[in-house]
Amino acid sequence: MSLLEVKGLKKVYKTRLGGASVEALRNVSFSVEEGEYVAIMGESGSGKTTLLNILAALDKPTAGTVLLDGKDFAHIKESAVAQFRRDNLGFVFQDFNLLDTFSIEDNIYLPLVLAGKSYAEMKKRLAPIAEQLGIGDILKKYPYEVSGGQKQRAAVARALITSPRIVLADEPTGALDSKSTDELLRLFGEINRRGQTILMVTHSMKAASHALRVLFIRDGEVFHQIYRGESTNEQLYQKISDTLTLLAQGGDRR
Amino acid sequence: MKTGYYSRLAVDGIRKNRRLYLPYLLTCVLMVAMFYILSYLSRASFMAHIGGGSGLAWVMHLGSFVIAVFSVFFLFYTNSFLIRRRKKEFGLFNILGMDKRSISRILFRESLIVALVALAFGLGVGIALSKMAELALVNLVEGDITFDFTIPKQSVLLSLVIYGALFLLIFLNAVRQVRFSKPIELMRSENFGEKPPKANWLFGLAGFALLGAAYYIAVSIENPIAALSWFFIAVLMVIAATYLIFIAGSVLLCRILQKNKGYYYNKKHFVSVSSMVYRMKRNGAGLASICILLTMVLVMISSTTCLYYGKEDSLKTRYPRDISVTVNFTQLTPENDGKIAALRETVDRLAGTYNADMLRHVDYREAEISGSLEEGGYLEVDVRLVDAVDFGKLVTVHFVPLEDYTRMYGKTLALGEGEAAAFGLKKVEIPESITIAGKSIRIVETLDALDVDGLNTAEMLTHIFLIVPDLDRALEGLLDLVDYNGNRMLQFGWHYAFDTDIEPAAQIRLVQEVYAAVRAEKDKDPSAIRSYYSASREADRQDFYSMYGGLFFLGLMLSIVFLVAAVLMIYYKQISEGYEDQSRFDIMQKVGMTKPDIRKSINSQMLTVFFLPIVFAVLHLAFAFPMIRKLLLLFNLNNVPLLIFTTAISILVFSAFYAVVYRITSNAYFSIVSDAKAE
Repeated sequence: MSLLEVKGLKKVYKTRLGGASVEALRNVSFSVEEGEYVAIMGESGSGKTTLLNILAALDKPTAGTVLLDGKDFAHIKESAVAQFRRDNLGFVFQDFNLLDTFSIEDNIYLPLVLAGKSYAEMKKRLAPIAEQLGIGDILKKYPYEVSGGQKQRAAVARALITSPRIVLADEPTGALDSKSTDELLRLFGEINRRGQTILMVTHSMKAASHALRVLFIRDGEVFHQIYRGESTNEQLYQKISDTLTLLAQGGDRR
Repeated sequence: MKTGYYSRLAVDGIRKNRRLYLPYLLTCVLMVAMFYILSYLSRASFMAHIGGGSGLAWVMHLGSFVIAVFSVFFLFYTNSFLIRRRKKEFGLFNILGMDKRSISRILFRESLIVALVALAFGLGVGIALSKMAELALVNLVEGDITFDFTIPKQSVLLSLVIYGALFLLIFLNAVRQVRFSKPIELMRSENFGEKPPKANWLFGLAGFALLGAAYYIAVSIENPIAALSWFFIAVLMVIAATYLIFIAGSVLLCRILQKNKGYYYNKKHFVSVSSMVYRMKRNGAGLASICILLTMVLVMISSTTCLYYGKEDSLKTRYPRDISVTVNFTQLTPENDGKIAALRETVDRLAGTYNADMLRHVDYREAEISGSLEEGGYLEVDVRLVDAVDFGKLVTVHFVPLEDYTRMYGKTLALGEGEAAAFGLKKVEIPESITIAGKSIRIVETLDALDVDGLNTAEMLTHIFLIVPDLDRALEGLLDLVDYNGNRMLQFGWHYAFDTDIEPAAQIRLVQEVYAAVRAEKDKDPSAIRSYYSASREADRQDFYSMYGGLFFLGLMLSIVFLVAAVLMIYYKQISEGYEDQSRFDIMQKVGMTKPDIRKSINSQMLTVFFLPIVFAVLHLAFAFPMIRKLLLLFNLNNVPLLIFTTAISILVFSAFYAVVYRITSNAYFSIVSDAKAE
């Protein structure tokens, strides 16, 4: 059984006034195995963000199911969704989403505090993560005092500290310079090698080229997928580039 | 066509921001209406017909002035919230190619609409309510109701000119803010990064220490005169302490809580404590101002209410008898005693012509001397010898012959040579003996009550009355005392007062006749009688009522204005914070906080921000209570249950009003925050 199974996902948005409806996801199915590192690519408007919102249990699909460990998202009660999200999912966002009222350390602790963990345990959990991410010396600082790359690493730490089943990353390199991007992608690779499942939504080829598998979404459907296999990052990059060119030319599924 | 376009944008701007504009408009209307009403009352025709009318008019005039000055500060303050919100919109217009001149044109039209609405509705409401306010005031001061309806031109003009100018200034200030900022700044003006506040131990602790000291002063002051002078010092200390505590103390407290890991890293406290720090940093000064405003209003309303409902008490304290007359002699000689007997006979005869029964006579002679009452009952009569004159120590000592006491009360006191029975006004502590110019009088008995001249009671200074067996013996050696002008320090007088059963109008006529009779007596022998006065409670009743009723009325009006102001300040704070909290609300939800959790956390913060000022205001009021009580003593009012009652009622009414506004504000806040989710 796969860790995450997405079957026949469909999402239709209705405009508030008038009956016009927009189909953001038509029919999306795929699965993610334990320990995988999957990148989902697509152009703006392809339905990436809608998909991620549904995976994050922030939104409900119009039709279809999302199973995590065989458990259906749709059957979780509204009141339990927040806890489910906290226990199973870790989030990394494009704009970091760190709270400026907290120090970096407190930002990382936030999900644990919400889960009612003791301070001693939180501290114990943070130590190895902080070391791995190289943020040990900025823990006491506030978000406005550190660079974008550091903020994103803090956000990664926040995502990892709950030991989630899957880390969901939404354009994690979108707001970073190239050096910070390289650093973050290297960290993602490393985290993945230690067994962490990662699902990343991006339209950066460079970011996607670090994944083990790349899914392409177009017009609300999974259009194509590439496995890394034995390829290096550079080779994968080339494959992604070719696929995107094909997509842009409007080619049909191979 | 182009003009129409600007106007449409202006109307749109107001409509879209009605959550901010509506309360602002209402405040403007309220201010204009209040100003007009007070200005109208200061010219109302009924004032001319009642006693104390000119004083009453003056009080109303002063009130309108206070409203005008307050309006300037307050409308500028609330308008700054509006401008801050609008800046983003203007920045967008600017970037889309609208020059700042055009933006100013939109602003001008907006301001014009606001000004016209405020002036029209303000004057409309003011004129509509003016007669009602007048009737209320007439009723309070128990004057005669008139039924003519006037709209004084001066009041209308004054309101138009003052508030028109104020709106113009506010407009210019808004233009200035838009003109001198770059479009990108306009866009960003709402959210720029903020440093976390640092705990300032010095200021935080100083705040608590200062508050403690001020409270100590307030509760430890015994003497009303001292209370008067210390009151202002205590007020200043409390104001400073409130600012320090709200700004530095609150941050300090949160930081201390954060240091306690077990407490801080708890779901219940984590978010609240850390965001409180920011809230207090941004709002500390504002909340402190609100707290002081509320305290002011509470003190004002509870004391003026107490004064008003205690006016009969005050009147009776000031005028213990219906009719009174006091004649001051150069000396009490047997010859002057004869004059006193003659005067008494004249007064009784005059009362007889009205068929008045004379009841509860007060009739005594006295000699008085003033000085500073030092340690051990030593009265220093030469104030030049006292290092620093402490008004709390100034005392007038009256010597009253036992003979007169016996005549008044029909009983005698067992007093020996060099002994006296004492009675003190204003709760002065009576020493065991009083020594004047080396001459000691032992106090063997303290009297609980003594009917004395109401003028002494009304005075701020302390009076001690000594009943002595032999006046001449008691005054031996004191007759020669002179002040630095060479005037004799001892003063002599005769006080005669009584109640009657005749009509108030007759009483007033009677007292006028008594006055004429005393004047005739003085004219016969100008050297024996130094001065004289007569008083009628009924003649001065209307003056009293006018003054106290007027103060009460003004207290009510100002309370309404200040309370609305305080509440609106909080409303704007919460609303503007709501806009800032939208994104924070979003992040927390993404990280796994449930909606009820967030709601709870925000709720507790809002409750704190909302009720902290009123909690502190009530605390301030509680500690100010003993002082207010003593200050009211100076107004001849000593009715503690009444003061407790009026204070409690004021607090209750305030809290109820406050709670209603809290509901409205929190609903507006949540609708703003949840708007973010819908987008």
